[in-house]
Amino acid sequence: MPGASRDGTIDGAEEDPPHTLLPFLQSQSQNTLTRLYQRPSACLSMFRLLPPLDRQLVMNLLWLESAVPAGTMGAWVTRQGRKLYDEALLNLSRLHILPNPSVKLSLNGMFKTSLRQAVTGGGNNGSFGTAALKDDKHPPVSIEVLDTYAVERWETILHYMVSSGTGQLPTKPSPGVLFLLQRSGLMSTVHGSALQITSAGFQFLLHSPHDQLWQLLLQYLHMAEEREMDLVEILSFLFMLSTMELGKEYSIESLSVTQKAMLEDLRDYGLIWQRRTQSRRFSPTRLATTLTSLLPPLPTATSSGAGSQDQGFIVLETNYRLYAYTDNPLQTAVLNLFVSLKYRFPNLVVGSITRESVRKALANGITADQIISYLSTHAHPQMRKNKPLIPVTVQDQVRLWELERNRLKSEEGYLYTAFASQADYEYVLNYAKQLNVVLWENPAKRCFFGNLEGHGNIRGFIERRTGGQA
Amino acid sequence: MKRAAEGYADAESSSKRSRRAGDQDEYVDVDDTESPPDTGYVPRGATINLGALSRKLAAARRNADEQPSDSTLDAHRRQQDKLVSHIFMDQDFSWLHLKPDHASRPLWISPDDGHIILEAFSPIAEQAQDFLVAISEPVSRPAFIHEYKLTPYSLYAAVSVGLQTEDIIEVLNRLSKVPVPESIIALIRERTLSYGKVKLVLKHNKYFIESSHPETLQFLLKDKLIREARVVSQVADKSIKGNTFTTSKAPVKGDLVNPGVKEAEKKKDDTKAAAPGQPASDADLFTSVVGVDSDDIDDEDDNVHSFEIDDSKIDDVKKRCTELEYPMLEEYDFRNDTINPNLDIDLKPATVIRPYQETSLSKMFGNGRARSGIIVLPCGAGKTLVGITAACTIKKSCLILCTSSVSVMQWKSQFMQWSNVTDRQIAVFTADQKEKFAGESGIVISTYSMVANTHNRSHESKKMMEFLTSREWGFILLDEVHVVPAAMFRRVVTTIKAHSKLGLTATLVREDDKISDLNYMIGPKLYEANWMDLAAKGHIANVQCAEVWCPMTPEFYREYLREQSRKRMLLYCMNPKKFQACQFLIKYHEDRGDKIIVFSDNVFALEAYAKKLGKLYIHGGTGQVERMRILQNFQHNPAVNTIFLSKVGDTSIDLPEATCLIQISSHFGSRRQEAQRLGRILRAKRRNDEGFNAFFYSLVSKDTQEMFYSTKRQQFLIDQGYSFKVITHLDGLEKLPDLVYRTRDEQIELISSVLLANESDADLGNDIRAGEGDLAGTVTSKDFGLPVKVAAAQRTTGSLTALSGGQHMSYMEQNKSANKKLAREANTTRNKLFAKRDRDLASARKEARARG
Repeated sequence: MPGASRDGTIDGAEEDPPHTLLPFLQSQSQNTLTRLYQRPSACLSMFRLLPPLDRQLVMNLLWLESAVPAGTMGAWVTRQGRKLYDEALLNLSRLHILPNPSVKLSLNGMFKTSLRQAVTGGGNNGSFGTAALKDDKHPPVSIEVLDTYAVERWETILHYMVSSGTGQLPTKPSPGVLFLLQRSGLMSTVHGSALQITSAGFQFLLHSPHDQLWQLLLQYLHMAEEREMDLVEILSFLFMLSTMELGKEYSIESLSVTQKAMLEDLRDYGLIWQRRTQSRRFSPTRLATTLTSLLPPLPTATSSGAGSQDQGFIVLETNYRLYAYTDNPLQTAVLNLFVSLKYRFPNLVVGSITRESVRKALANGITADQIISYLSTHAHPQMRKNKPLIPVTVQDQVRLWELERNRLKSEEGYLYTAFASQADYEYVLNYAKQLNVVLWENPAKRCFFGNLEGHGNIRGFIERRTGGQA
Repeated sequence: MKRAAEGYADAESSSKRSRRAGDQDEYVDVDDTESPPDTGYVPRGATINLGALSRKLAAARRNADEQPSDSTLDAHRRQQDKLVSHIFMDQDFSWLHLKPDHASRPLWISPDDGHIILEAFSPIAEQAQDFLVAISEPVSRPAFIHEYKLTPYSLYAAVSVGLQTEDIIEVLNRLSKVPVPESIIALIRERTLSYGKVKLVLKHNKYFIESSHPETLQFLLKDKLIREARVVSQVADKSIKGNTFTTSKAPVKGDLVNPGVKEAEKKKDDTKAAAPGQPASDADLFTSVVGVDSDDIDDEDDNVHSFEIDDSKIDDVKKRCTELEYPMLEEYDFRNDTINPNLDIDLKPATVIRPYQETSLSKMFGNGRARSGIIVLPCGAGKTLVGITAACTIKKSCLILCTSSVSVMQWKSQFMQWSNVTDRQIAVFTADQKEKFAGESGIVISTYSMVANTHNRSHESKKMMEFLTSREWGFILLDEVHVVPAAMFRRVVTTIKAHSKLGLTATLVREDDKISDLNYMIGPKLYEANWMDLAAKGHIANVQCAEVWCPMTPEFYREYLREQSRKRMLLYCMNPKKFQACQFLIKYHEDRGDKIIVFSDNVFALEAYAKKLGKLYIHGGTGQVERMRILQNFQHNPAVNTIFLSKVGDTSIDLPEATCLIQISSHFGSRRQEAQRLGRILRAKRRNDEGFNAFFYSLVSKDTQEMFYSTKRQQFLIDQGYSFKVITHLDGLEKLPDLVYRTRDEQIELISSVLLANESDADLGNDIRAGEGDLAGTVTSKDFGLPVKVAAAQRTTGSLTALSGGQHMSYMEQNKSANKKLAREANTTRNKLFAKRDRDLASARKEARARG
């Protein structure tokens, strides 16, 4: 089943934008990246983040000792595939995995060595983490506990966001998380009041947990630069986590100082679990181990039935009624962003999409497309019989409601008024018309409105004219 | 779990913190429900909040249940729960306990307002639907999830088709994912206790109040009015129980088989119904639903008790019983009626009725008697045949009332077509035909206004009315029951003595909420069909609905904003963009081979459109001959593919050729009109062609009141599962050759003509006036009452510049009506052969002239 879903995602990957982390990595210096590529776990994770075509290129070149002339490889490419191929090469060269792809194709030496090592095993630099020795007093914690912990942590953060400003008092996440939320622009304070969610924050809530996680981590990386933490250490630690095994305990001995400092933050986000703050060992949670995979980052079937995460739970009808099979308060709160909710049953929430509810969402900065994509990613299996997934009428209507808001265009400019005579007025107006800067005119009142660009010219024109007369 | 808790105890501090917080919340949770956040200014304790109390109990119970398996996650969830709970206010029912096997049960019931939500994709949804239609009002029935609502009336209807209180609760409980809430059980008990327990039966030509519960009768007799109306029977009381009521065997369905239903089918149904009423396991769920549904579970008490009521006081008693919350069900034991002569009619052997028609009839004749009530079927789904079958089942004298004289003729021909009634047995009573049937029983077809009219009748009609009122009718059939004004209805119902009444309609919605009146006067709704279901099975056409947004031109919009009077409506109807959209759609669909009806409520707009586009039109002012000619041309002439109809075409016009419908102006937010109009294309002849779609367009001027009305109008159809696609731009509209009002000057000309129009022109449906014998507003009625237009000189004030054309006032050419052309053509009675030669000659002449 996971295999099937993975295939499915890859097939549809053409439209998917590249992973959010890649642009960030592309902006890093060659030095940073090369240092990162020293670690086999980082290379493996990078490989997993790449788009399918890039991955294939890397695999083709991995075991070649000598470089391949660009033309040889290029001959394999069909005409339709040319554009994709070029993009893939560009992408890889920006990541410094494939230097100078225009001349010859050869993987970055460091990357090649590390990835080979990752694939074949061996080496003892502990880049995949060092498993902790068996502890008789405390057997390793069960996966169930880890999942619970991760879900609780993660939902606390999201719930804090979604309930801010509603007069509710949700549990606060740790100060570190709050700071991160504020820095990332997802929440902000107005005049020193409590944190309020921003429009970016509302949009954030509609993303998939995987995207949300990376969005936060990316922000964490940006912050790390300011805090003068070593980016390579952080990245390699995240990559290391993503290759670890769920339910195993790892020792912190092999971690660098920076990485040890990160433990606290990651604990707050729910990525890792530790028995005590001072514990010498840690366990990654599902959030961490799925960072670079396509598996759902949150447990799929917990006892309380939050399992609707990936199979879809929303039924949307042509009469704008929305039925969500969920008992998850977080999902309910997110739906409440753009649905006017009506009934709630133990495993069902009923509401309808109305003009008001959508306008409220739009006012919060959520776009119609985001609403529609949220609805389609979470559509109930029954809805999948539909073609298209979301009733066209509802889609159109939501878009039209969005258009309704963008009818007025504002343009800055100047109002020219109090002309001495009709002749003066017409003279200046003609000039302005030649410049094509007139937005509005009213001959009866002898005034017109010109845009900002034209002002200098018109002003000069009037001054010249009045100056000439005087 | 205990181990996990220990693990947490010595885990890091923040985890501990959250756990403690969780524990506190748990406490707060209970505490909170005790005193729900007070939003109003009602002092605390002034009202007893039952919901809160039961919630508290449920919460307490849940806490007790979950104590052993408590974890941080649960605490965390509960705490979050509190955060979203406020969104739902009183409608948060998450405290209800899901049954362990809830996944296989299809519905939820809201304890607060009796809303029922049904998963239509559940394997047993079909059975559940049958049951729910019987006990509740369908609210919305789109593709996946349906909603129903339990109302006092719907429960009344449920009882009247023979369902018992305990059966309703039992089946609901079986189908529900959550146990049926106490409040709903209470509602069902309360309503079914009083409703439907008392029946009014016309037996041996005497009215009896009948009930299987003697205590109810005792109760009623305590009322003075009823006591006085009682006729103490002369016959010695033979009842062993020694009570004062006549006791007799309850009726059973026995061998009554609806004509047209195959014997074998019926047998099967009966055996199914005979399955034990109290199945022990869930496997028997199906049988139990079907069993209850097929109406055979009748009173367990075999004896019914009754007392006689004075004929003259029957109305008072009926009213009084309703006041006492014991509304009387009217049933007609027609098989035991020996007083009224039988009418020997039957359906023709070739006539087969469809399954849903059969179902609707089984509701009516469930226990072997005829119940009074209303059957709701979409337009084009064969309401007439249901009526005819009902008449053929009762086999007594029958009166049929419809809205117009042409419907009268349609009913008559349908009767002749489907049943073996002879010409002598069927009579028509309209303004110009006043027949009586021969023999002692027969069928009379008339219109509401003919029967309800109270003043200045002709001698003949008076005689006819005497004939109608003096007799006792076995069955009265009321067609298009939703359009009849309540007052007229009351008159009909009180003057005509009938044993059973059946109302037929397509849309039981009224903007004025007069529906409950029908409930009292005719009876409960017996059956309501699911539109989407019928469409899926090919009984009615598939329809693509679209709303076309036509932007207002700046000139029109300025006038629209300036104008405060009713003329605003004229402005958005006459919007040139709408004109263009209409022209485009007509062109497009004519090219596809569709037959198009264009509807406009506004007669001014109707004429303007039809003349400008050169199409035929019918409105109130169109004469009878012309009207028939136009309809015939539309049906048979391949050159006439479009007609314009005013409001007169909304109901009872049968044009199976039409496959496309365009609506340019309509009656405010009337949901009923929208549904009726849609009904015009539901019976499209070609509906069973593969991939056939009928089209329904509603043209709406953007940013005007019309948008608001349009949304409102569509609500009914949307709830039936139709979806209206919004079209903001018609592709290729600009490229259309000879597009009307293309230039700004033409548009300004149009606006000046609109502004010149009288205020009365803006009225909707002003072409309709009720003529003798017809209900107002039907295309087929004979006499519309021509709007008397006195061709008075029109005086306006204007400046000299305006008169000389300075202000875009112009003297324009009037478009000729295509109707006249048709009439001219019709007058030439020459043979086709000659006609062709004439045309050729004419064209040759024209050519010659052009050359010369």
